[in-house]
Amino acid sequence: MGEFKVHRVRFFDYMPSAIRAMVFSTRTERLALARADGALEIFNFSDNYFQEKVLPGHDGRAVEALCWVGPRLFSAGLNGEITEYDLENLRPRYTVEAYGGPIWTISVNSQGTLLAVGCEDGTVKMFEVLKERIQFQRNLDRQKGRIISLSWHPSGTLIAAGMMDMIRIFDAETGRATHRLLVDRGAGASKSKEVVVWSIAFLSDHTIISSDSAGKVQIWDGLNGTLIRTHLITKWDVLALSVSQDESSLVAGTSEGTVVQFQFISSTVDRLDKDWVRTRTFKNHSHDVRALAHTETAVVSGGMDTQLVVRPLLDKVEKNTRESAMRKVSFPHRSLVCCAKKAGLLLFQFPDHLELWRLGESDGYGKLGGSLPVKRGPEKLIQLKRKGEDHICCSALSPCGGWLAYSTVTSFRLYRLQNGSISICKVSKLPKDLLPAHQLCFSTNSSKLFASSSNSSVVVVALNELECKYLGTLKAKYGCRQPVHQLSASDNGKWLATANTDCEVHVYNLDKLKLHCTVPVYGSCPTAMAIHPTTSNLVVVHADQQIFEYSLVKKEYTEWSRRLQKQGLHSMWLERDTPITHVTFNPKNPAHIIVHDMFMFCIIDKSLPLPEAKNVLYNQMALRSLPEPDRVLHSHGFKICKDFQHLLCVSLLEDHSLVVVERPLLDIVSQLPAPVRQKKFAT
Amino acid sequence: MQGGGRVRSRSLSVTMRRSAMTLQNNMAKNQRGEAAPSSRMTGRERQMGGFSLLLESSDDEGPEEVTFEDSKADARRSMKRALDTARREKELLKEKRRKRQELFQEQKKRKLLSAEVLEEIDSTKQEQSHVKAEEEAEPEEVEGRKRNWKQNAARNLKGNYTVTTVKQSTLASSQLKAAEDFLHSRMYGPGSRRTTSNEMLSLENKMGKNKSAAVQFVKKNWACQKKAKAEKLKKTWIHMQQIPSS
Repeated sequence: MGEFKVHRVRFFDYMPSAIRAMVFSTRTERLALARADGALEIFNFSDNYFQEKVLPGHDGRAVEALCWVGPRLFSAGLNGEITEYDLENLRPRYTVEAYGGPIWTISVNSQGTLLAVGCEDGTVKMFEVLKERIQFQRNLDRQKGRIISLSWHPSGTLIAAGMMDMIRIFDAETGRATHRLLVDRGAGASKSKEVVVWSIAFLSDHTIISSDSAGKVQIWDGLNGTLIRTHLITKWDVLALSVSQDESSLVAGTSEGTVVQFQFISSTVDRLDKDWVRTRTFKNHSHDVRALAHTETAVVSGGMDTQLVVRPLLDKVEKNTRESAMRKVSFPHRSLVCCAKKAGLLLFQFPDHLELWRLGESDGYGKLGGSLPVKRGPEKLIQLKRKGEDHICCSALSPCGGWLAYSTVTSFRLYRLQNGSISICKVSKLPKDLLPAHQLCFSTNSSKLFASSSNSSVVVVALNELECKYLGTLKAKYGCRQPVHQLSASDNGKWLATANTDCEVHVYNLDKLKLHCTVPVYGSCPTAMAIHPTTSNLVVVHADQQIFEYSLVKKEYTEWSRRLQKQGLHSMWLERDTPITHVTFNPKNPAHIIVHDMFMFCIIDKSLPLPEAKNVLYNQMALRSLPEPDRVLHSHGFKICKDFQHLLCVSLLEDHSLVVVERPLLDIVSQLPAPVRQKKFAT
Repeated sequence: MQGGGRVRSRSLSVTMRRSAMTLQNNMAKNQRGEAAPSSRMTGRERQMGGFSLLLESSDDEGPEEVTFEDSKADARRSMKRALDTARREKELLKEKRRKRQELFQEQKKRKLLSAEVLEEIDSTKQEQSHVKAEEEAEPEEVEGRKRNWKQNAARNLKGNYTVTTVKQSTLASSQLKAAEDFLHSRMYGPGSRRTTSNEMLSLENKMGKNKSAAVQFVKKNWACQKKAKAEKLKKTWIHMQQIPSS
């Protein structure tokens, strides 16, 4: 197979941001997630939970709540603004000041016509949802405390607002506060602190369910304003609540990291006396759970430990199938590391800066699995801080290490690196058409830069010594509105392949600057792709773990790809829950394709037979124990290595050494903020 | 007359008071017959009930011969004393007010002074830009100005501080900060019963099947700046060692 010298890189201090809010849209099957740094992520739940879109954050955006109004996404934050997002261009469309101080919550009525926001100054402000914008309608009765949570009654006539020490019910038409429900403070030391009603839900039978900072979930009668039941579920705060669509199940997230489910069932066979009964407890998080979403079949939770957990409910899905497995999304589904293959440099993308490192060197020879002595350690060459308040959207490093580019939502910057990448100088006078890009890619000979922009088009610029000239725009066919999230240029400089979030893959001929062909649309979104240097075959890997190989010259799928589709991929391969984020090739062996996901990297050898269903997929260890001649009999084309965890990038340098960028999850967990102190027996 | 509560000074001896009071009482009684004395006086009398009892005994002997002039002088003296103390207090207040005013003036002057320094630095910076523009034309003059600016800079920017503009913090950002502080204090403030991630991991380690070393066994981020400085020094030393050899 091959022996590789491996550069094990562990100096990428990638630190994800805590999840602050999330909201699920049943109509579009999309989950929108807001992180503490203001970044928004859209997950497609029908496509293997793929992270489709990432909108970069902004200093001071401080998103507190999100809301879907049909296909439109609104957010409200502590900066007092309501923002609508343009999900096709991955940027905010506009912001509206609410003039009520920091906004704590946002909620839309079931008809989708009115948006209610709860503000710090105690007002609930109503905004009309118009076609292209929102417009302030009126304020409801101003209250003395801050409004922390809001919930519309499904009929749209009443609003329940959770405040400090109390819950208020408003009549949405008159704006008057009709009922006041007083919430008990906690016992003991917390008697002196006000209790905060963190989350509230208004059901159609006028039941109000509230969760507060004293650890209680309380069930109230909204018509009479009385308390029906109290459930004390934790000693700390209950930060989030989510009710299922059919109002039969409710989940509450606590500061301990547990998610408690309540179901509206009857204790006896008699169907009449139904009650909210505590059923399941999930402990999938180590830190506070701050955001919850209850979909039809699963409970989605996220919080301070930055991981998104999807827990399917076993009474809604078949047991022991792929759908019933718990999913954890820890790393982003796109690459944050750019490797300059010729120069041996790595570019790390952080939200607020970029780091350029030179890899270390080692002379020695060692045996398999051993570590080699390091002659010269890795060196951080440049730390480039971004300008402005927007976070970095995408970045790229040219293979020769001479050019560096990054883009935010509002600006684009290109830098020339000289003297062995030590000195850096900014290229001013960029062409006007080089608008902020969603994805960047340099050509292999570093003469061209490709930047994806709106409407699935790609801008091509030529790079000379110190300047940059606009060459042309590659436009896809009319009607492509979705952003391009994958760009790949071939080594010979002839082809450029793009993939957008609508699952469309276009290939352009760079000599003529025109569209060459469109790969037949496959139902799942492409997560990684690359063009082979010699055979010009495009290898595309999708979110459902399918692999396709398409010949650009012949404009058809290759024979190997057809064989793979006919036989089908191994079930263990299809059951992997993290997507492939990078595809690369081996210059020494044209039959190799190197792919990786978070837990493994795999060298696919097209010359070897494909694994059949009855074979073991992860057979590297077993093969090593067999004698030489037997190995050929048992080996198959998918050689998987799980020695390095958790992978952010795997790349092959020109000198045939492998670069493996690892970020162990334990390192991330050890730097998270404080969890609650739980007293465990015998510790 | 002896006017009730007006006289605050307690230096008057009890005897004087007593005698004056009894004198007045007698006078009053003589002048107005059985007119009741003022309630204040009765209060005083009651206060000094004990003394008056003693007095009865001495009263039998006949009143002391205190002339009218004497008592007038007494009264005048006490009044003067009262006026004196009032004046003294007024003067003290005046002094205090004057001192405070001076302090404010001084602070104001100090503020102005720092602005002056800033202006000076601004003007020198402008000079420097002028210098750069006219570089080709007048090299010698440029040298002189540059030197001047450098001297100025050395004079003004001594010590570890730099001059920067303050980012205008708006009302919205202060409200945002207040809201974030509220959230932080509710979740991580006092009474939130929290521990560190390291401790949580250590607990997991202790209760897990495979026990290993703590995650943060060694504190790696100690003395970062010192380490960076040492690294730089090492590089320069190596560089200097190589120069004579090359």
